[in-house]
Amino acid sequence: MTVAAVAAHPSAVTPLDAFSYDDDIVRKFMVACVAWGAIGMLIGVLIALQLANPAFNLGLEYTSFGRLRPLHTNAVIFAFGGNAFFTGCYYSTQRLLKARMYSDALSKIHFWGWQLIILAAALTLPLGFTQAKEYAELEWPIDIAITVIWVVFAVNFIGTLIKRRERHLYVALWFYLASIITVALLHIFNNLAIPAGLFKSYSIYAGVQDAFMQWWYGHNAVAFFLTTPFLGLMYYFMPKAAEGPVFSYRLSILHFWSLVFMYIWAGPHHLHYTSLPEWASTLGMVFSVMLWAPSWGGMINGLLTLRGSWHKVVNDPVLKFFVIGITAYGMSTFEGPMLSIKSVNGLAHYSDWIIAHVHTGALGWNGFITFGMIYWLLPRLFQAPLYSKKLAELHFWIGTFGIILYVVAIYSAGVTQGLMWRAFDETGRLMYPDFIETVVRLLPMYWVRVVGGSLYVVGVFMLAWNIFMTWRARPAVYTEQMVFAAPLAKRWSEPVIPKPTGEGLIGWVRAMRYHRKWEAMPVLFSVMVTIAVAIASLFEIIPTFLIKSNVPTIASVKPYTPLELYGRDVYIKEGCFNCHSQQIRPLRYETERYGEYSKPGESVYDHPFLWGSKRNGPDLAREGGKYPNLWHVTHFNNPRDIVTGSLMPAYPHFAKTPIPWADIQTRVGVMAMLGVPYGNAVTNAVSMAKKQAQDVATDIEKNGGPVGLQDMEIVAIVAYVQRLGQDIKLANAAPPVAARATTTPAVAQSARRMLP
Amino acid sequence: MTEPTQGRKEAAERDRILEHSYDGIQEYDNPMPQWWVVTFWLTIVFSVFYYLNPFNTGVGSGMKAEYDADMVAFRAAHPANSGGGNARELLAVVARKSEVAEGKKIYAGKCAACHAADGGGMIGPNLTDNAWIHGGTIDSIYATVNNGVLAKGMPAWGKLLKDDEMQEVVAYVWTLRGSTPAKPKAAEGVVAAQ
Repeated sequence: MTVAAVAAHPSAVTPLDAFSYDDDIVRKFMVACVAWGAIGMLIGVLIALQLANPAFNLGLEYTSFGRLRPLHTNAVIFAFGGNAFFTGCYYSTQRLLKARMYSDALSKIHFWGWQLIILAAALTLPLGFTQAKEYAELEWPIDIAITVIWVVFAVNFIGTLIKRRERHLYVALWFYLASIITVALLHIFNNLAIPAGLFKSYSIYAGVQDAFMQWWYGHNAVAFFLTTPFLGLMYYFMPKAAEGPVFSYRLSILHFWSLVFMYIWAGPHHLHYTSLPEWASTLGMVFSVMLWAPSWGGMINGLLTLRGSWHKVVNDPVLKFFVIGITAYGMSTFEGPMLSIKSVNGLAHYSDWIIAHVHTGALGWNGFITFGMIYWLLPRLFQAPLYSKKLAELHFWIGTFGIILYVVAIYSAGVTQGLMWRAFDETGRLMYPDFIETVVRLLPMYWVRVVGGSLYVVGVFMLAWNIFMTWRARPAVYTEQMVFAAPLAKRWSEPVIPKPTGEGLIGWVRAMRYHRKWEAMPVLFSVMVTIAVAIASLFEIIPTFLIKSNVPTIASVKPYTPLELYGRDVYIKEGCFNCHSQQIRPLRYETERYGEYSKPGESVYDHPFLWGSKRNGPDLAREGGKYPNLWHVTHFNNPRDIVTGSLMPAYPHFAKTPIPWADIQTRVGVMAMLGVPYGNAVTNAVSMAKKQAQDVATDIEKNGGPVGLQDMEIVAIVAYVQRLGQDIKLANAAPPVAARATTTPAVAQSARRMLP
Repeated sequence: MTEPTQGRKEAAERDRILEHSYDGIQEYDNPMPQWWVVTFWLTIVFSVFYYLNPFNTGVGSGMKAEYDADMVAFRAAHPANSGGGNARELLAVVARKSEVAEGKKIYAGKCAACHAADGGGMIGPNLTDNAWIHGGTIDSIYATVNNGVLAKGMPAWGKLLKDDEMQEVVAYVWTLRGSTPAKPKAAEGVVAAQ
């Protein structure tokens, strides 16, 4: 077919190049996508079980929720989503540009490099190596590897653009290009950190700025890793499967540019009502609201491409997957702007509503676009008919049913919990003052999620079976289809585009034909995309970093003591931030429950920030001094000894794991390098830490607790938790009297007095 | 009735196919749906208005000002309780079995984690002996439970429990005195006058 199309081209008089497409790399990425997808989703089912019953933490530190949750998100986003994007990108780019990939070697390096990175993630995350930034948890050596492999991909892609035999770039390629450029920017700037060991580093940003950078990244990871690449896939595979033209060229231009320009501003909506300056979060909200139409532009162009072909949907599982996928995209991109509205966000933030929102997008949009694409590709890649269309149909129905069960249950859970958190009784007290009451109410919904999620995974295994059986029917040797196309002429000018008659300037603007010229200039196009995303980023980043008044300092806020710093690292290692926020919002039901709302000046030494985004357990910003040390020792050992019905994993290993004293000096040193005023601690961190550890251990012992904990991690994490929210109390009150020497807050204070 | 010009023009534009083709994929030159264009511009107009906030009609007075106003109104509507318990009233509750039984349930849920299920003490002090750190009369026990001992990790339960629940749980604690727990914690504080 390609040969015929080329033959009909007027340039056929020039000699044609003969070449073939590299489908081997596409097959590799596809298999990796499904294999990692199945693993990532199975881990999803496991952590869903853990939230329904903590016994599923399996009693091992490596399999607790806090360590596996990042593994689930990284696996489904970067392993499943990433390999899905590469599968479709490598298949369609070659055909849209009439060129084999620039370098087969680079393709292979990209493939194997990416899989090794995923393997490294799968090993390091359960071991507790994490930067504590959502979707950017991987530690610095892996971050460097990601950068290198991404550059390999970019070079390979741009190289293919350069040697293309198709003058103009089709819309799918615009989306690929925007994704490649922006992901590189996001990844590099969010992950800037100073190493403090082979798999340990501290973010160069702290507190408010770190939170801002993280959600600039986090939101745009959704935008440029899960949205724009998949819109690109949709623009190629949807018209291919529907065998009809795309609905509107102009719409694709307007929604592409508005999407790329507006998405990047929207990150701060993840930080509504936090210590982030309000101007930034308001900007995040309005740009999210404005994103509604650009996002729906993609949905319209996808669904209306099916006009006149709806009858085909009945018989074609590929189109069925696409229809539900694009509909899910439409639903979640309406919901996103809605959730960014502050009052809606007040209810939804920290609750399961966000989890439901994300899974509408991930299971519906990313999952179903990927499945539809793979079913379409299978006969073409393996050069054999699809093993079973019936099984594909069954996959579609079981997957759809799974999504519905999942999201209905988790939307209900989110709204239920959000409403319970804010409920007051007639006497002006919180209706559900015990956090655990708002957790146990959700358990039935959590079990429904387990069922829904499992059905979805069963569907993925059906897909895997279909792939395996189709592969078995492949020919002994794949036929390499030769393609003939003329190289692009060196000299060329865009034919004059006739203005639409009688419509004047406005008609000319509306018809958008001038855009065609840019489509033939990939370099200019890339520069324009870069400018679009950079402008937006700089408009928000520069003021956040430069305006001093954004973070008013609080004199009584001092750095963590060396022991607390290590305790904080234990908190990070266990992924406590996955379930506990440290950010109280200025909302009445928050301050009544947790205490004074969080101030920007409180987290100036927090490299990285640990504000959290989800409350499976209560906020901890004011946890310090709330309970005695022994309470925490007992609670960490087995939370259910203290809180009946608690879902928190048990951490008995804290009392058995010795503190690596030698590391503490290094870590304090790196913090000091980042500008944290550590004074004396820079040289004698270890002796300071040992002394404080002894004080905490003595207090535990004196109150009848376990003996001899002074060298164990438990004293470090208790010291850290007891420090949370203490400093601001000193700003509000006179210094406490020395008579409180036996209590931990006093221990923390005495240790802090050693600091300058 | 004649067809409006706009409609004719749109009909002419509808499904006009563009000349280019990429790997067989073609595109229509269809105009963007009106409702979509309207939504696009309306959200932009809304955003500008909301951000510029003329006369506080957009984003409003700001989250901190709104919070302060909310708290003032709330405090006015719900004055804090006196914090004191009336000894005679509390002793009357002690005499009513059903209320003490309610108190026992509250104790099991909120207090047992630190003071042990039988009151023998664990993380918190023993409640069965005669020694009291913060006063052993029933109204001082009420005050301790109500206000908490924040420095030692005893929460202010008055903010969490309703008035009748406070009375019930204090009445139950009162009945623990003199019982024999399995693992009593050593006495702390001052022995109360009998």
